[in-house]
Amino acid sequence: MSSAPDSSARAVEDPDSAVAEPAEVAGDGQPEGAPATMPAAPRARWARSVWVRVGIGAVLVAVAVLVAYLRAGNGEVVGQAVVTGLLTGGIYGLVAMGLTLIFGVLDIVNFAHGAFLALALYITVVMVNEFGLYPYLALLISVPVMFLLGAAVQRFVLAGAMGKPLENQLLITLGLALLIDNGLLLFFGPNPQSVDIPGDQGVQILGAVATVSRLLAFGVALLLAALIYLLLQRTRLGTAIRAVAANEAGAQLVGIDTRRIFAATFAIGTACAGAAGVLVAPLVTIEPTTGELFNIIAFVVVVLGGMGNVVGALVGGLIIGLTEQLGALYLPGQSPLLSVFIVFVLVLFLRPQGLFGRGTT
Amino acid sequence: MRKSRFAALACALSLGVAACGGSAPPGAADGGDGGGSGETITIGSLHPLSGAAAADGQQMDNGAQLAVEAINEAGGIESLDGAQLELASADTQGDPQVGQTEAQRLIDDGVVGLVGTYQSAVSSNVAAVAERNQVPFVIDVSSADQILEQGYTNVFRVQPSSTVLGERGADFLAAVAEGAGSDLPRVAILHEQGPFGTAVKDSFSAQAESLGMEITNVASYDPASVSDFTTQITAVEASGADVLMVAGYYRDGVLVAQAVDTVQPGLDAVFGVANGAFDVPQFPEEVGAAGEGYFDANYHLDNTNPETQELAALYEERFGDPIRTAAVLSYDAVRVIADALERAGDADPTAVRDAIAETELDSLLAADGPISFTETGENENATPILMQVIDGAVVQVYPEDKAETEPVYPAFPSG
Repeated sequence: MSSAPDSSARAVEDPDSAVAEPAEVAGDGQPEGAPATMPAAPRARWARSVWVRVGIGAVLVAVAVLVAYLRAGNGEVVGQAVVTGLLTGGIYGLVAMGLTLIFGVLDIVNFAHGAFLALALYITVVMVNEFGLYPYLALLISVPVMFLLGAAVQRFVLAGAMGKPLENQLLITLGLALLIDNGLLLFFGPNPQSVDIPGDQGVQILGAVATVSRLLAFGVALLLAALIYLLLQRTRLGTAIRAVAANEAGAQLVGIDTRRIFAATFAIGTACAGAAGVLVAPLVTIEPTTGELFNIIAFVVVVLGGMGNVVGALVGGLIIGLTEQLGALYLPGQSPLLSVFIVFVLVLFLRPQGLFGRGTT
Repeated sequence: MRKSRFAALACALSLGVAACGGSAPPGAADGGDGGGSGETITIGSLHPLSGAAAADGQQMDNGAQLAVEAINEAGGIESLDGAQLELASADTQGDPQVGQTEAQRLIDDGVVGLVGTYQSAVSSNVAAVAERNQVPFVIDVSSADQILEQGYTNVFRVQPSSTVLGERGADFLAAVAEGAGSDLPRVAILHEQGPFGTAVKDSFSAQAESLGMEITNVASYDPASVSDFTTQITAVEASGADVLMVAGYYRDGVLVAQAVDTVQPGLDAVFGVANGAFDVPQFPEEVGAAGEGYFDANYHLDNTNPETQELAALYEERFGDPIRTAAVLSYDAVRVIADALERAGDADPTAVRDAIAETELDSLLAADGPISFTETGENENATPILMQVIDGAVVQVYPEDKAETEPVYPAFPSG
């Protein structure tokens, strides 16, 4: 139990970090599912601090948009940047959700997440191009397949490395990523593939345009975040997952089979990559290395949002998406990653535990 | 500790895989005295066989392999008693460090010359290794000007440099617009931020401005991480440009086409310069109607040359995939080395280098003349030509002597 005592770093959807939606807080002032033992004063203080953070965030976004407008001098361009930023950010959040779950509960830096995403992309390609399935119906195949694969990988490959030094798991997942990437290269060849959505038109939103497939991916990202949030907060499985994340030894003492919880969590995280793969498929050129594109951003989003926090991943994704697009207006000719990492470093400087991560105090 | 052991393992693995491709007996490095019959001479092929550029890398390695086979079938190197050629393939993974190590390994194995490598950063490193070992290195694809600005004497380049690509690109755009009776267009530029995109942008805009075109907007992007271009295309629309010039690679080119289709910025044309997407056969397949009318001024295989047509047919039959220009460049690069071996009558790398410097070899690419190298190693007859996607296929449209059909300008009916 090498990781048991200092479990505060591994906070999954712990009640006092989970209230990303202000509406939740507004409802009753205290999130449901908060342990009854929590003293009232810290809870109130914490609720205030979330409001303060949300307020500061809103003001910062407004200022960022205003400055972008002054810099670009064209409302249409800024409007498009905001819409594109939010939609792209939703996709980043979608990809990062599964990763953050695995990070938070299993304490595994899963470098294979991008490769799992690539696998889901190719499942979609096969379903659509070989079997003529409507692209989004591939979800019915991809999600269960990736769920089972995730469970199998955790059970048979990673289980032996649980609780071992970080490098063990890190190297295993890195090896898995190489294996999957190059397996795809072997079986499908290096030529780029694509998935077409019939009638994928651009639609107008507030003077900007976006394709239906992007809007759909964004919508499902929100839905998925809500589903996982409910799963963690309202079900026995979710409670057990949170318990394991909070204190592994304690969870074992109260009769939770931690090995099953590890497998289930890794499977859910991988299934998220499966869902993301299907939704992202129409938006990208599909190559064996496509998953790697999302790896760096996904890790940034996970750390920014607070490790293990699904809602944090979504909000982090939106922030990164907006930063990329607005940053391109501030600093034309620079890599969007420059502005992303400026924001990243600033946030970590002010809140080392991430936006929604629980502090160690 | 563990990390370094893993790194060593990874290196060993990749070396092992690469070695399987070319476990050649050491070639004729020590056979400087003319060789004998039945001797095998090894040429090194360094390309990204895995990683993000694997599609092009594997095509290029296949192209080099076909060249070796063609030469062997025609009787090998006659001046060396019909010595047979052999290709030692290595995977650079698109990584300059790996490329450098693999180049050294191939040279230590006794290759007579190297061809490669696709990425300019990898080619820079390989060029340094080749120069240090006095082994000729014929670059098939890599456009960065700097590679040949180091005063190297063993490095040669078959494809045109970034400067030539950008300048000719601007010339072609002006010629096509004037030919269609339009005013000179106002141009917005979107380029990848690396040395390649930046060099093309610089030479294109200098030439375009000297021809009287106005540059309305310049934006760059990171090709490795970009995922959407709608903001950039909206900015292009706001700048009032008639033509969007794009210098980039395949994946980002597809994203540009999708964003242009979504935003509908009312352009007359999208005009690629050395673009890695707009003249690739897969591009119209992937983006469908959204890619119709796209131009690309790029070095390209010559569809009007019967020998090239033959090679394209052979390639498709062997590998089940339409041949890309990059593969033809690798084919030509191997031919350059074989031709030099023939004229030198000697398999010593230094003799081969001297012979390459005197090359006069007809190219399978669209070019101004035979492959012939300047003092610095540039192919003085390398030139881009202009292609356009018409009815879902990439066809040559300019200059007239290379054209399969007339260019369509303005390219978009709605424009």
